[in-house]
Amino acid sequence: MKTHVLFNLFATFLLADGLNIEVSVFDFSLQLQISHRFVFLILNFTRNVAPLLINTQLFTRFLSRISQDSAGQFFSSGHTNNWAVLVCTSRFWFNYRHVANTLSVYRSVKRLGIPDSHIVLMLADDMACNHRNPKPATVFSHKNMELNVYGDDVEVDYRGYEVTVENFLRVLTGRLPPSTPRSKRLLSDDRSNILIYLTGHGGNGFLKFQDSEEISNVELADAFEQMWQKRRYNELLFIIDTCQGASMYERFYSPNLMALASSQVGEDSLSHQPDLAIGVHLMDRYTFYLLEFLEDIHPASKANMNDLFKVCPKSQCVSTPGHRTDLFLRDPGSVLITDFFGSVRKVEITTEAIDLTDPIKEVEERYMHSYVDQLPVSEIIHQKPKQKDWHPPDGFILGLWTLILLVFFQTYGVKHLRHIF
Amino acid sequence: MSGLPGFLIDDRLHFPSCPSQGGQRFLVEMAAPLTLLLVLAVTIRAALFRSSLAELIAERVEVVSPITAWKRVVEGLALLDLGVSPYSGDVFHETPLIIYLFHFVVDYAEITFMLADVITAVALYMAVKDYNKQVFRKQKFALEADRYPLDCLELIRSPKEMYYIPLKVAMFYLLNPFTILSCVAKSTCGLNNAVVALFIFSTIKGNTLLSAIFLCLATYQSIYPLTLCAPAMLYLMQRQYIPVNFRRASFWWFIAQYLFMYLGSLFVLICLSFFLLGSWDYMPSVYGFILSVPDLTPNIGLFWYFFAEMFEHFRLFFLCVFQINVFFYTIPLSVKLKEHPVFLIFMQLAVISIFKSYPTVGDIALYMAFLPVWSHLYRFLRNTFLVSCVLLACSTLFPVLWHLWIYAGSANSNFYYAITLLFNVAQVGQPGRSQRRLLIESLTETPCSPLRKSQNEKSY
Repeated sequence: MKTHVLFNLFATFLLADGLNIEVSVFDFSLQLQISHRFVFLILNFTRNVAPLLINTQLFTRFLSRISQDSAGQFFSSGHTNNWAVLVCTSRFWFNYRHVANTLSVYRSVKRLGIPDSHIVLMLADDMACNHRNPKPATVFSHKNMELNVYGDDVEVDYRGYEVTVENFLRVLTGRLPPSTPRSKRLLSDDRSNILIYLTGHGGNGFLKFQDSEEISNVELADAFEQMWQKRRYNELLFIIDTCQGASMYERFYSPNLMALASSQVGEDSLSHQPDLAIGVHLMDRYTFYLLEFLEDIHPASKANMNDLFKVCPKSQCVSTPGHRTDLFLRDPGSVLITDFFGSVRKVEITTEAIDLTDPIKEVEERYMHSYVDQLPVSEIIHQKPKQKDWHPPDGFILGLWTLILLVFFQTYGVKHLRHIF
Repeated sequence: MSGLPGFLIDDRLHFPSCPSQGGQRFLVEMAAPLTLLLVLAVTIRAALFRSSLAELIAERVEVVSPITAWKRVVEGLALLDLGVSPYSGDVFHETPLIIYLFHFVVDYAEITFMLADVITAVALYMAVKDYNKQVFRKQKFALEADRYPLDCLELIRSPKEMYYIPLKVAMFYLLNPFTILSCVAKSTCGLNNAVVALFIFSTIKGNTLLSAIFLCLATYQSIYPLTLCAPAMLYLMQRQYIPVNFRRASFWWFIAQYLFMYLGSLFVLICLSFFLLGSWDYMPSVYGFILSVPDLTPNIGLFWYFFAEMFEHFRLFFLCVFQINVFFYTIPLSVKLKEHPVFLIFMQLAVISIFKSYPTVGDIALYMAFLPVWSHLYRFLRNTFLVSCVLLACSTLFPVLWHLWIYAGSANSNFYYAITLLFNVAQVGQPGRSQRRLLIESLTETPCSPLRKSQNEKSY
């Protein structure tokens, strides 16, 4: 029995290896590329039998190789949690479409599984409850009011004047004051995949916040580098829908960044269509087609980034969308949409047992830390600076007064000289 | 016609005794009121210095400019004490002689500025007195030569009218709110005014060397008094009875002399300034700053708004246009007003204070002090009410709109610049109108007026 099982196990896993079958030991809804009921059964069987064979050294070696290969394929993205930071930077009623853009991405992201606790939503103005909104408490993304992206359960984390460049950068880098609530923090770690979506008015190298300040592409790139150095992301997808959006990702230099923009430098991103009842443009073109694309994605979808790059070609968008993948370590074809837009939770299986019964050993202090005096501060502050008075040079004084005397005697005549001598 | 001490005999005007005795009488009699005026002015200034308004006034942009601010002088001296050239960085834009002066009197700065105002007032007083004497003498000669037709009796000036003019001039200068503000703010404009007043005094007295030297000092401090060369030369030539004629050799010889003295003293001053600090740092800091206008702090001038919104490409062009505008009016005005060089000085001062790169109210105060000298023309001026109302309103609106722009945030630079423009328009209108009347007056003095001929025929 045991050898039979072993042989079958070995054969099936070889087969599985060779046939590139992705396996999920928990999610049975994943489709196998080559449906092999036999293999499936054996896998089920091995799952049940595996713990019995754990102690066999050979088997453990096989298993470790197995877990590396199939787990390696399965866990090829390397992330364990997903975050999203969705920012709309413009205020005023006529920028309705930017809020609608952000809310439609929010909706997709939530639908695909990222919970509100992992979404930081920043909206610079309130369109749903704006007094100019003829349909209060709604934000529509499509004319004829087909899709209300505001919904019933929108949680806005930064609203109105709280959406500033400073707050945005603090959210990204995590340098927030201790009193900031958790809903306003990006509590990502080094296994988080983060989606960052920005929309508003921008230009070549900057994005305008609130009609009063700007964030530049250099600042953004530096913020991402800070995030990388602090291990705040595993992979990051940056989408921007503004005019000349491609300029915002030009300066990125940190690894594992993928960027998409709605238009190239020198092009304007255009809005989609106005709604005559509401009176403003409802969406921008790029995000409109992005929303259409995302509506077809479900949590088990296998669509990858190459499909995302094809969203909104020039014929539909009028501007040329751009993307940047040179800093990304994986091939974009192998990156799933749900790696960023959804929250497919993955769990690592480990065959090792962690012993939690032993007490944690204290790390001994090897050496005492002390602050080295770099500046003799106490000497400096107690020392009074020597007052060196400046005096005009003697030659100057001599020259000046000689001239004055000359003029005096020239004016009043030489006879006064006799009174002196 | 009222107040004329003359009387008509056979259609000819007679005036009583010669003015020279009266002149000496004036000197003795006017010393007391002048002293009183000086004491009053000094008291007002001292009172304001002691009050808390002094700091408030010292930071008003209408009263101080980046060149004349006292804060910058103190900063420059402090830098010098620390061993750094005061011209490093964009702090100090005054000349080295000011450094020398204030190095010794910085603790007595208030007294220095009050003294400068007093010197200005006394110099203007004596200058205008002398000028009046000459005007009266000229008028007497012209009267005796029968050059005035009968219908211009209103324009004839009498010693009685002219008695109080010098005192009025001193009063206009000392008690002018603009001057008081300028003094309390300790703006070096007061020193510049003193030098210009001494220049005017020495010119009217006829002393060529002193006139050239004071003009050189004034030019050395801010470049614009250069335009006062022309009226000074005209006046001195007329005083020495050199005919103002291009074809005469004496004309060119006098010009050469004056220019030699002027340029020579300028050269000496510049070299002396070099020896004070041992470097030529001060040239770009002082003259480069005045000419190239890098600092666009709002003031009551015309430069800041234009240059704040101008594209870099056109900056040099407009800089040249604006700067030439100051010097441009010299030649035409000198040609037109060659008979009235003192009026020309007044016009030039007005032009300088309107069109210079960093004007302050102190510059305006200097030429406003001259208004009583031509008070006989006031009757004929149009729009006096309008112009004076505009000036008054603009002066009050300056701080209001500044507050609204900078502090309340409900106005913007356009509001402030509009008031600046209006203020300058009123300033332009004011001497312009006086000039018009003066020209009309001068027409009556020409020997070629047809009325005079008929009168002569009648008398014989």
